[in-house]
Amino acid sequence: MAELRETGGDGVVEVGAKSTEQKAEKMFNLKKWNAVAMWSWDVECDTCAICRVQVMDACLRCQAENKQEDCVVVWGECNHSFHNCCMSLWVKQNNRCPLCQQEWMVQRIGK
Amino acid sequence: MITLSKKLKQDAEKKQPKYPAVDDGRRVSIRDKLLTKEVQELEMDLPDSCKVHFEDVNKLSSFMLKIVPEDGYWAGGIFHFQIEVPEEYNMLPPKVKCKTKIWHPNIAENGDICLSLLREHSLDGTGWSPARKLKDIIWGLNSLFLDLLNFDDPLNIDAAEHFYRDRAGFKAKVNEYVRRFAQR
Ligand SMILES: [Zn+2]
Ligand SMILES: [Zn+2]
Ligand SMILES: [Zn+2]
Repeated sequence: MAELRETGGDGVVEVGAKSTEQKAEKMFNLKKWNAVAMWSWDVECDTCAICRVQVMDACLRCQAENKQEDCVVVWGECNHSFHNCCMSLWVKQNNRCPLCQQEWMVQRIGK
Repeated sequence: MITLSKKLKQDAEKKQPKYPAVDDGRRVSIRDKLLTKEVQELEMDLPDSCKVHFEDVNKLSSFMLKIVPEDGYWAGGIFHFQIEVPEEYNMLPPKVKCKTKIWHPNIAENGDICLSLLREHSLDGTGWSPARKLKDIIWGLNSLFLDLLNFDDPLNIDAAEHFYRDRAGFKAKVNEYVRRFAQR
């Protein structure tokens, strides 16, 4: 079996619960403030790696079927986010995060 | 080149009973929408040794890939792969067959290919993922002639054993196959 190496570098930044602390800390040290601290795990420009539409927009399926309102976002424990529609189709196939291959565990669902 | 906007329009008009009908009467193929985007990106990001060819520009789900390895055992050969993208893409991976007869540990003589990325079900996380694209598969296939070449977990066991038993003989047989089957 030949295996493809993980290419990575797809611009995923993982900032978890600690970001608020970090932010608070850095408020006292503005010299060290940098753009990285501005990134968060629910930035609006995140793209769903499954349907390749931004997670803040409705997924490809819901757009095509005119069900924009029902389309919500799901975040995994790994902090990767997808459309809930897209992810629920994929977990039937393989219960792993398509991006980091970790076992998929829902952290939260919302808009 | 494919005129993609025209193609999408045609798809919307086409009646394909397999797709679920929606309110406004249009038929939805998620696969074709994904492919329209991917194919546009594809030509910009392929290895120099690879070329894709669409028989029918209205059918992006079926195409040929030509690999002309520049280095390695198979240099000098021209290898054709047929790629079929199932309706369930990208929940399911594309199906790939090697149409050129080849002596290779990871490609059977009937054209079956052993590349983890193409596996529908994998327990170890190396199989297909919807985050992957056609581009990744093409790079993966290209690497079967170079760094992904793997003699330790072969599909063509005879070819792998041949390599370990008699390296010169293996090379000679590869060359013979290239001469006989992989010249165009
Ligand atoms: Zn999606
Ligand atoms: Zn949706
Ligand atoms: Zn993940």
